[in-house]
Amino acid sequence: MAATSALQKRLRIAGIFVIVGLVIEAICLLWARPIAFVVMVVIGGLFSAIGVIVFLYSIVSGPQE
Amino acid sequence: MSLPTTLLLSLILFSAVLVSVLVALPGITASRGGKILAFLVLFVLPLLCMAIGVSSEVERSKSTSFCLSCHVMEPYGRSLRVDDPSYLAAAHFENHRVPADEACYTCHTDYAMFGGVRAKLHGLKHVYVQYLGKLPQQIHLYEPYNNRECLHCHLGARSFEEGAVHNADPELLPAVKANKMSCLSSGCHDVVHNISNLDKAKFWKGAN
Repeated sequence: MAATSALQKRLRIAGIFVIVGLVIEAICLLWARPIAFVVMVVIGGLFSAIGVIVFLYSIVSGPQE
Repeated sequence: MSLPTTLLLSLILFSAVLVSVLVALPGITASRGGKILAFLVLFVLPLLCMAIGVSSEVERSKSTSFCLSCHVMEPYGRSLRVDDPSYLAAAHFENHRVPADEACYTCHTDYAMFGGVRAKLHGLKHVYVQYLGKLPQQIHLYEPYNNRECLHCHLGARSFEEGAVHNADPELLPAVKANKMSCLSSGCHDVVHNISNLDKAKFWKGAN
């Protein structure tokens, strides 16, 4: 039960990182300036990548069925 | 807003809503359907959105308005509307000899296989200089202008191949095609942007 709770907590964290990455990407798409490209790739990409990595880590370290 | 951008924003919004559902109800991942949903929204969709987003931004960075959004490029943008056909850039832009919405990119990017990527790396350096570095007094090309950028369109065109001036000297066209004689700096088409003379120039207001 505790392992399931830890898994859900990690999924939540992953989800929050992904949402922040997606929001940054959306803002950059509406912001037609050269810096928007860099912000989208570096900051948006970083948040999304952390979210994906946390998700992958959570499923490989989660409880076995 | 363009259709691809609208579609991408819709995909991002859709993904964000699904991720929010997962964040609010992580317990749904206990079921097989929840696991599949988690894989889709926390792995597939973020990577898909980022890949399409980067592709969209790279495509948008070809636009004339994108290039001219940096303050330092403003006089170059003005030079595209000079009311004088001897200004090469203006003559090409105003007469749509280059796509008006991709005018800068059309003439200033190598057409080799990796030309676009190399130009984008230079672009990243420009962004750094624009926001964190020191802007140069005068902008210079990284390399002498290559005739290839002109020949991409003009090679094989009748006005270019059979033009009287181009054929006055039989060695001229082969030298131009081999990039041994520059179209721009050899004294033939040397009025290009000439931003130092813009104060005296008249400007075309554009089509109605």
